[in-house]
Amino acid sequence: MTAEALDPLIHVPVRLQIMAALATLPEGDHLSFKRLQDMLELTPGNLITHLRKLEEAGYLETSKTGSGPASRTSVALTYDGRHALDIYATTLRRLLHAV
Amino acid sequence: MEPREAARLLTQTQADARRSLDFRAPWVSLVAAAVALIGFGIVWLNVRDQHPFTGPSAASLVFFYGLIALRIATVIYAYARARTGVSGRSVNVQRDEAVVMSGVLLVCYLALIGIANSGSHGAGFYWSLFLNGTLIALAAVWAGRCAIHKNWHEAALTVPVALIAALAAIAGPRGMWLVNGVGLCVLLLANAAIGKWQRRATRTYTVRTGA
Repeated sequence: MTAEALDPLIHVPVRLQIMAALATLPEGDHLSFKRLQDMLELTPGNLITHLRKLEEAGYLETSKTGSGPASRTSVALTYDGRHALDIYATTLRRLLHAV
Repeated sequence: MEPREAARLLTQTQADARRSLDFRAPWVSLVAAAVALIGFGIVWLNVRDQHPFTGPSAASLVFFYGLIALRIATVIYAYARARTGVSGRSVNVQRDEAVVMSGVLLVCYLALIGIANSGSHGAGFYWSLFLNGTLIALAAVWAGRCAIHKNWHEAALTVPVALIAALAAIAGPRGMWLVNGVGLCVLLLANAAIGKWQRRATRTYTVRTGA
């Protein structure tokens, strides 16, 4: 087994961090964009780029509440996202055990 | 990215996120331990030489409840800081639980005031019921809440709280303040130490262990 067995969408440092951080929330919870940005110490542009990629893959969902400057964007892992991260972690574990 | 680096990043990010989102930081337990020792200790110093026992002075009770208010304020502060930006089901559940606990506390106080007004026992009996009964009721409700969430670590913590309160009841109206103060302080210090150790253990955990 090689590193290519790992989900290429998750196997990028920033996206792995996003998925890992969101996975610590219980199912049904959302995290605001601002809090996630602060936790991972990312720029808004960088975070948006990676969130879009994960959202397009169906790994996370974003929701927006309010409008104008008071609007708030929240993100959460979807069921598929949690499952994909589980598979990623399992594959990673197998790879490391095989070394 | 090398698999080993990915494993380190995954583990580290999850540990940091858990730490950041959890309001039960060791410092919160340390404040609670200090509040228990000082608060109960001040009342014990006030009542230890009372023969017969007439109850704590108004000044010592103001100090005692002031410290409890400080403890509640630190929990609210820690919670607000840790849960900023979090929304959804667990937030609603925690809010409902806070309402239930406040309700239990209110019912306890009302029931105990009712018992005190209708009875003819000495002050020691009522103070023991008031203090230890409230602690046991809160521990029982919290144990039920922890069992529902399958949070066995916190559930285990409620058992010694109830035991300390039961021991305090046996110690009598003067000794119960000391037993509760020292007992709860030791328990909360142990909890802070376990919390600190768990946080350190999570930091050193690696995916390689398969844990």
